[in-house]
Amino acid sequence: MLEEFTFTLLISVLAINFLISIYGIVYRRSLTKKLISLTILSDTVFVAIILAGLIYTYPIVPPVYSDMQGGEAEFLATHASDPLPQALVLTGIVIGLATNSLIAFGIIQTYRLTGTIDARKAVKTLLEEGVE
Amino acid sequence: MIITLILLIASSILSIVFVYMAITERDLLKATAFSAGQSICYATILQAMGAADIAMTYVAVSAGLYSAILVFVISKTERFEEVGSE
Amino acid sequence: MKRVIVLVVLVLIAVVSSVITPLVISIEVPRCLRDLSRYYIINTIKDTASPEAVAAIVWDYRGLDTVYETLVLYLAIVGGLTIFMYTGELARETPVGLTLLSRTATKIITVLISTVSAAIAFHGHLTPGGGFPGGSALAVATMLIIPVFSINTLLEKGVTSTKLVAIRGVSLTGLGLVALLPVIRGLEIVTNQRFYPGYLDGFILSGSISLYNLLEFLAVASGFTAVALYLSIPEEYYKGGDNA
Repeated sequence: MLEEFTFTLLISVLAINFLISIYGIVYRRSLTKKLISLTILSDTVFVAIILAGLIYTYPIVPPVYSDMQGGEAEFLATHASDPLPQALVLTGIVIGLATNSLIAFGIIQTYRLTGTIDARKAVKTLLEEGVE
Repeated sequence: MIITLILLIASSILSIVFVYMAITERDLLKATAFSAGQSICYATILQAMGAADIAMTYVAVSAGLYSAILVFVISKTERFEEVGSE
Repeated sequence: MKRVIVLVVLVLIAVVSSVITPLVISIEVPRCLRDLSRYYIINTIKDTASPEAVAAIVWDYRGLDTVYETLVLYLAIVGGLTIFMYTGELARETPVGLTLLSRTATKIITVLISTVSAAIAFHGHLTPGGGFPGGSALAVATMLIIPVFSINTLLEKGVTSTKLVAIRGVSLTGLGLVALLPVIRGLEIVTNQRFYPGYLDGFILSGSISLYNLLEFLAVASGFTAVALYLSIPEEYYKGGDNA
């Protein structure tokens, strides 16, 4: 009973966070606020990917052996969490960090060229004056 | 078993609070602090699901590097965003 | 006041929908792993000599993806350094920094963070962690030093951006060499156990996984520290002249 409640609660919480961050990207004017909403959006997607590998067993452990003999293979095959989505999310976090830091540098350069951090005024200034 | 489920329920409800307060805040430094709080809630959810590798990487990247880069960006541009959304 | 009301409504929507849905639809929670993950967990010590399944997947079973991801991170840092390039001289004044209490606490915390980040990176083939979280933690420790002491303290000790970019270039070259070296004997390009030794005198080395973790730790830490050093130069130095 409690297990099904937790499962559906996690799915609805992730959906609500997804919708709030899409609202933040579209409707907020400042470029920095759009960057914050983009990081929250990508983090929500990563948690949803790991949720696809969740299993409900009693002691849930990370998939690590204690010694090199390999005697715990049976215990780990039924009680460990899924290692394959974790490897994919690790790659995703690194590439997300690279893209978000490049966007942050682009925001600073836009402020130097146009003098404003408002998205609509910056576009209007760049279209009228042109970039040197 | 009960402790894992209670941890999942409490962190998920707390993360909605942090995400909503981060996105509807005018002062951008406070929004950065709320975003770091949301990262801690997500790291608790990930650890309760058994992914210890991802929880460690996520805390170091999101609560450490993103907050530092955002504070640098705010110090070189403006701090308050303007009222009236669209 | 309006924000609090909307927040309470959102939390109530989440809780009520997850109470009602299991009563209407019959939901089965998942209770066993899929077959591919079970293969990875059972066969990881025999194929890669590493007791950690996630590090084995990231650096051995799917190692080519990780080499390309390191290349993407390298290109992003190069783009950032191009925007913030400053070739003039900073005005040398006496370093100011914060109060004595903050400086003493920061000295203790920086030593602890450096030790923990090295432990996370060097044991990446035995425990969860790896090269990338260790490098990020060391970069955060350096970003803590810059506001508490001033940036001139760091520059006077010899930690300049040129040296950090050089360290980053050397470690990325090493990473490329570790990936390309098995071609000499006619094997494929990211090979682990058929070319590198798994054990050395009783130490567990796991072949190329420990080498990859060490080089990635150096590359990530020096790259983000160089970006932080460039970002701390105040805006007045960029105005005027031809430094756009």
